[in-house]
Amino acid sequence: MVRRSLVSVVDDDESVRESLPDLLQELGFAAHAFSSAEEFLTSDYVDQTRCLILDIAMPGMTGPDLQRELKLRRKEIPIVFITAHRDETVRPQVLEQGAVECLFKPFSERALVEALNAALRVS
Amino acid sequence: MADSSHEGSVDNAVGAATATQSPSTQALSRVEPPQNESGLFSGESVLNILKLIFAGAPLTEVLTIIARLVEAQGKGMFCTIWLLDKEGKYVRCATAPSLPGFMTHWDRTPVGPDGACCGTAVYRREPVYVTDIRSDPLWDSYRHLVEPYGVRAVWARPLFSSEGKALGTFAILYRDVGSPSATDLQLIENASHIVGIAIERHMNEKELRRSEAFLAEAQRLSVTGSFSWRVETDEITWSEELYRIFEFDRDVPVTLELIGSRVHPEDIPMLNDMIDRARGIGSDFEYEHRLQMSDHSIKYLHLVGHGTRDREGRLVYIGAAQDVTQHRRSEETLGKVRSELAHVARVTSLGALTASIAHEVSQPLSGIITNASTCLRMLAADPPNVDGARETARRTIRDGNRASEVVTRLRALFSKKETTIESVDLNEATREVVALSLCELQRNRVILRTELASDLPVVTGDRVQLQQVVLNLLRNASDAMSAVEDRPRQLLIRTERDEGGRVRLTVQDAGVGLAPQAMDRIFEAFYTTKTEGMGMGLSVSRSIIERHHGRLCAAPNDGPGATFSFSIPCGPASATGARSLGVIGTPAVKDAKRVQGNP
Repeated sequence: MVRRSLVSVVDDDESVRESLPDLLQELGFAAHAFSSAEEFLTSDYVDQTRCLILDIAMPGMTGPDLQRELKLRRKEIPIVFITAHRDETVRPQVLEQGAVECLFKPFSERALVEALNAALRVS
Repeated sequence: MADSSHEGSVDNAVGAATATQSPSTQALSRVEPPQNESGLFSGESVLNILKLIFAGAPLTEVLTIIARLVEAQGKGMFCTIWLLDKEGKYVRCATAPSLPGFMTHWDRTPVGPDGACCGTAVYRREPVYVTDIRSDPLWDSYRHLVEPYGVRAVWARPLFSSEGKALGTFAILYRDVGSPSATDLQLIENASHIVGIAIERHMNEKELRRSEAFLAEAQRLSVTGSFSWRVETDEITWSEELYRIFEFDRDVPVTLELIGSRVHPEDIPMLNDMIDRARGIGSDFEYEHRLQMSDHSIKYLHLVGHGTRDREGRLVYIGAAQDVTQHRRSEETLGKVRSELAHVARVTSLGALTASIAHEVSQPLSGIITNASTCLRMLAADPPNVDGARETARRTIRDGNRASEVVTRLRALFSKKETTIESVDLNEATREVVALSLCELQRNRVILRTELASDLPVVTGDRVQLQQVVLNLLRNASDAMSAVEDRPRQLLIRTERDEGGRVRLTVQDAGVGLAPQAMDRIFEAFYTTKTEGMGMGLSVSRSIIERHHGRLCAAPNDGPGATFSFSIPCGPASATGARSLGVIGTPAVKDAKRVQGNP
């Protein structure tokens, strides 16, 4: 059996953690959800993760903080940011830092698939 | 007022003086040998002196004429008149017409128990008649001053004002030793009367001039002029400062037309309105309007008028007008800064509110969409994953409920918690709102007309909420006219009985009116045509009226402007539970929807 690419989801919002991995699995990926950046960093999944779906605003370490931390650790995981704050200034910032895409919640399945495809092409 | 009482006392004095006149017709101007037997002035001489006094002749000139007239009544008689100085310490010689050089030798005498005759008379407040100065100790220190003139007897009588204040001394110096005869006493008495009048008049005039100067100075400093307006004849008098404020020459007769020529053209309707009202009721008025000067600069004038009736019952306004340009300018600047600040604050808080609503609602929406997508995929699979689909559908419902809770929380945030149901006299409630808004309306130069039906039945509801609606309609009307310059900014507020046991309140403006495409949207939350508006007013107002089982509607006028009106059932029939009124807060629901649809 072909090994599915692992997509990790980091979001403090429970409904995202519940719903997104199921959809990702339906789309043919392996998925794992984490409630914080710290939880993801200390887990065993960092190296396996082919794509990271990352919330921007979270208590403690934020999405961009994690992006920087991964860069420092030379873990080049493609990142798709998701956020409920429609702040147009954030998107160019995170894209400039190397993110593949930045989706505003609520996003469509189609937008998600396109972002994932782009991310996996990069990797 | 002061003037008339003053004249009154003069009349009395003249009466008293003339009452003691002999029928003698001796002319004043001719200094001729007198009628020694009578020792009195003729009526004509008294009249001539009074004429001089009231024509404002210099006091010393008047006193000298009187002195000469007295001297003409007998031989060997010298007349001197002494005036009490301001401190009341000395009497100073004002005239001694037949004693050459006298005033240079002896110009003052202290007021005291041994002040020759003139100082002692004031001190004792009674006449001092010295029959022989050579033997009288009163003259020990002064004898040498009069002996060169061959004076032996001195008769002095103190002079008093009508209020009994000491003014000075009238003194006759006599060559022969002796005391005054009855005729002499009469002469001294009469002369003293007239001298008293002359001095008092002079002092009053000085006092009047001083207080006038004070008043003029105060008016100049406070840029406040005063006026009187006799309504029946339109006779208007202005203080000097008012001429200065209006920049008219002092000799121009003031008329309403003249005033109108300076009033800012846009404020003419308001002025006319003010004049009409003032003519009618005769109660006090207070207005503010602008003046347009010949160089097109603008002044702001604050007018206060107090209506009084004269003895014939004719209406006279006495008032003050202050140039408040400086004040208004700084207020305008302050107001502009404040409103800009308020706008920024509102936009900022609205932005923050929107962001927070967006975030709160986006989270569950995100879950809903993701779950629904998953659900579809699970159902489309072969074989369909029904259990998985059921689970995601369940989550979809849960997230939907979560979004709905957010909306409920927001609604609670926006809604008013306490509601009071009571009988409300809509007229009274309206009057209160009008009273509160009057200043602002006047500042916006709005001409407000109220037509409140006298037979208006009471309604049942929340007084404060209904007042909010009225206030909101008034503000909107006033704002709608803020840019109107080519017509009077007329605002009508009317209450009346409506058909079907309802009460109607109408607010009609002459403002910019309503665009047809705006008609559908004006009651929506966040819809606004104003830069500083949040667009909540009409939406909240409509909710309030609907909770009162009424209807709020808007219509463009035939002419310029728009009319907003609401009608609500009157009497206890309209009573509704506090709970149903308490749900006023629907804008929050609309907020959320709009944010979602147009974030």
